[in-house]
Amino acid sequence: MVTDTTAAENERRRAEEAEAESADIDRTPVRTYWQLVRQRFMKHRLAVFAVIVLIVLATYALVVPVITGDAWRQTHLFRDDAPPELFDGDGEFTFAILGYNEIGQNLFARLGKATQTSLTIGLAAVVIIVVIGIFIGSIAGYVGGWLDNVLMRFVDIMLSLPGLFVILMITAFFGQGNVWVIVLAIGLTGWTTAARLVRAEFLSLRDVDYVQAARALGASPQRIILRHMLPPAMAPIVVAATLGIADSVVVESALSFLGFGIGGEGASLGTMLQNAQNYFFSGPLKVLYPGLTLILIVLSASFLGDGLRDALDPRQRVDK
Amino acid sequence: MATYILRRTLQSIPILFGVALVSFAIIQLAPGSPIDRFRTPNVRPETLENLIRLYGLDKPVHEQFVSWFTAFVQFWRTEAWGYSLVDGRSVRDTIVDRMPATLLLGGTALLVTIILAVPIGILAAVRQYSWADKAITTFATVGYAIPSFLLGLYIAYLGTVVFRGAFPSFGMVSLPGSEGRGTPLDIAWHMVLPVTSLAIQQIAGWSRYVRAKMLEVLNQDYVRTAKAKGLSATKVTYKHALRNALIPVITLFGLTLPGLLAGAVITESIFSWPGLGLLGLTAVQNRDYPMVLAFVMVGGFGVVLGNLLADVLYGVVDPRIKY
Repeated sequence: MVTDTTAAENERRRAEEAEAESADIDRTPVRTYWQLVRQRFMKHRLAVFAVIVLIVLATYALVVPVITGDAWRQTHLFRDDAPPELFDGDGEFTFAILGYNEIGQNLFARLGKATQTSLTIGLAAVVIIVVIGIFIGSIAGYVGGWLDNVLMRFVDIMLSLPGLFVILMITAFFGQGNVWVIVLAIGLTGWTTAARLVRAEFLSLRDVDYVQAARALGASPQRIILRHMLPPAMAPIVVAATLGIADSVVVESALSFLGFGIGGEGASLGTMLQNAQNYFFSGPLKVLYPGLTLILIVLSASFLGDGLRDALDPRQRVDK
Repeated sequence: MATYILRRTLQSIPILFGVALVSFAIIQLAPGSPIDRFRTPNVRPETLENLIRLYGLDKPVHEQFVSWFTAFVQFWRTEAWGYSLVDGRSVRDTIVDRMPATLLLGGTALLVTIILAVPIGILAAVRQYSWADKAITTFATVGYAIPSFLLGLYIAYLGTVVFRGAFPSFGMVSLPGSEGRGTPLDIAWHMVLPVTSLAIQQIAGWSRYVRAKMLEVLNQDYVRTAKAKGLSATKVTYKHALRNALIPVITLFGLTLPGLLAGAVITESIFSWPGLGLLGLTAVQNRDYPMVLAFVMVGGFGVVLGNLLADVLYGVVDPRIKY
């Protein structure tokens, strides 16, 4: 008798479990690629945090120069190295939460403007890098043969140039202090890695069945490249671009720091650091603010890149 | 092996030629010309024309390139790389003079890097997920992310302000007239800060790499076999695993070399180190075209040599690589 009841019970339990399981499968929602991407990305806590930091920095860079107007370059005669203050003598709100620099410029406003300049240059340079990289890489990867060989040897030559020094050379000889020269100098020297990446993706996609099918149907090379091969290759490109932002911002700051970038009245993170270098003793914090901002940008961009790499990869599994 | 090295060396010649072409093109495209510095009201137009003819600037661009390049490859001659537009000295001699300072700085930084980064990387890998590993990984991530000029700046700040000038952040020797100027000890004392700032960045990169490679090897079957047959942990880690983990690390040598030759521009400028980087920087500032071209070529040579070295070393240490 005893064995009978247990057997029946087991039977029942097994049936229940099976039912629950099938119900579970039914209840599992169909998740689109982008839902999966979001789920995978959200698991990357550092990347999520990096996004928040980047949003805060971007907001700061966009909003502060607007609400403080000209304050980033206005000098105040009697406020050199003045400590932080909220209201000036006339009781007017000044936003000088970070104090003033050696010539009485509002550091909070100046840092906002500098972040804006550096981020803008970084983003613009990355756009150029990605456009040239996709163009050269896709042609090399799709056409192959001698053209691929020529283009890749050109990439080898570009990679053999001492990068930062060539950028210095271009900015110094083609108009120092010009924002667009800086953007072009970074963009025209930095596309090699992107091109190699795109080429590798295209090489692996070239003989995939659906691409061959498109070719058999008579699709033009343009259509195959833009509609069939570029979308699946986009994920690594997006990751590389994110990481490229960090590199471009650093190169711009280094240029300005060495005196070859944004000069004169302009404010970038590099010029602020160069300025601060001369006033080590009077204001160590002046080195800290732009430096920290730069580190935050670099770290966030690289964490975001890591997060995107995992999130955009369709082979990565997401557990319920 | 010998044929492989020869083949790789021959392959790098067209690349160096390309580097020469690109850098020459940049200078040609740039507005301004080498004789602009003589264009003052005191110089007669005929004199300027004579100068243009003297320097061959009236010839077509490709002829200028050929004459520059054929002269440049004859590096054993003093006049091969031209004369500086600033002080009139032979460019080749100036570069040769400045090389030791850069090699000393870079070589010491590399030595410090190897001595510290390899044990740090091993420690992080052997004790994966321990607090030591976490601390090392955090240090490596942050150290890798800090731009080199910012790191140099902060270290110069530490030396001059926090330690109240215990370590000099300027030059390679003490000021003229001070005691013991130019002795090895004096130079070593001046090297502390620049070497630290160069090494921290390298250590961050290297230790991450060593850790990754070590973990890769530690998870392989032959390591498990070694453990299973009862070898001590030390023997497994340091005799069986480490040797194979260090193979790819060897290639880092070659990849670090270009940074040593021409890449120390930023560090040298922050610490006013009288090496190649600072020379290149002032050459660009002064529009000293022969010097700038020579500097780019030396830099390109460093990259090509580094890649060659990496490939050859890899073949030397890894018996599985056949040519």
